Amino acid sequence: MTVFLAVLVVGVGTYLSRAGFILALANRPIPEPVLVALQFVAPAVLAALVVALLIDEDGGVAIGAPEAAAFLVAGVVARLTKNHILTLLAGMGVFWIARALV
Amino acid sequence: MSIDGSLVRRAIGDSIPLFIPAIPFALVIGLAIIDAGIDPFVGWSSSWLIFGGAAQLTLITLLGSGAAVIAAITAALVVNARHIMYSAALAPVFQRQRRWVRWLGGYLLLDQVFALAVLRSDDDPAAFRTYYLASGATFWVSWQLTTALGLLVGPVVPEEWGLVFAAPILFLGLVVIGLDRYPKTVAALVGAGVTYLAAGLPSRGGLLVGAFAGIAAGTLAERLRR
Repeated sequence: MTVFLAVLVVGVGTYLSRAGFILALANRPIPEPVLVALQFVAPAVLAALVVALLIDEDGGVAIGAPEAAAFLVAGVVARLTKNHILTLLAGMGVFWIARALV
Repeated sequence: MSIDGSLVRRAIGDSIPLFIPAIPFALVIGLAIIDAGIDPFVGWSSSWLIFGGAAQLTLITLLGSGAAVIAAITAALVVNARHIMYSAALAPVFQRQRRWVRWLGGYLLLDQVFALAVLRSDDDPAAFRTYYLASGATFWVSWQLTTALGLLVGPVVPEEWGLVFAAPILFLGLVVIGLDRYPKTVAALVGAGVTYLAAGLPSRGGLLVGAFAGIAAGTLAERLRR
């Protein structure tokens, strides 16, 4: 139930963020500083999320060599190919190989 | 109202290649729902209630990892805040559309739909409507089906494969692929670094502290560059 409510709240919030200006804004401009800050929402939040997903129950960030190697390779592949599927395959491939070797 | 069939086919044809990169996301969301111990139908409802992969995956993985509900909700909403920019950018185009198109158009405004729609913003209103709605519907149907598929595949995949690790890998890919300017790199590095330093905060509050620090750092870097 709590989970469904959480989904619902995020759903409503997401709809408002997508539809808000389309529905409400006639020709009112968004303040420039807000537009500047909005560009950094995606990189800042997603990078924070990568780290947050690695935090264990005790609040420590514990990653082993397989995870570190996978991130490194996935990062390079993402940079070079700009392709999500190749990034995922490279990252998981290195993760599995490194884990088998360790 | 007559619908231009060739325009519909064109919209679908433009949308499918853009959907392919979203397939691993959809499957990982299905797996993450299973891994988080969330009721599959409730988890899948996020596909039509939220209809946004990054926010869905954020909410589900954070809930599954024991974050406070309010922190998970806030993080997911912050992830989706980028849509405000899309909404503002397309608002003038939608002024020429009927009310129901505006209401529905907002719901369908994914990253990919935005990317396709801005290229069509000079089309006449009827053509824009047909193209936009056909593209949005293509993504909507594909997304519902592939996330459901992830839920079906999820229980079959052995836990030893460690497929939950695919979520941070996908997010890392999203970050790196989106880094087109130096201030964005600053935002990402500060966001990650501060989250790491704040890892001990209760209820995974470190994520939000890190995110806001990253946004502030990126904004500052942009200012200094000008």
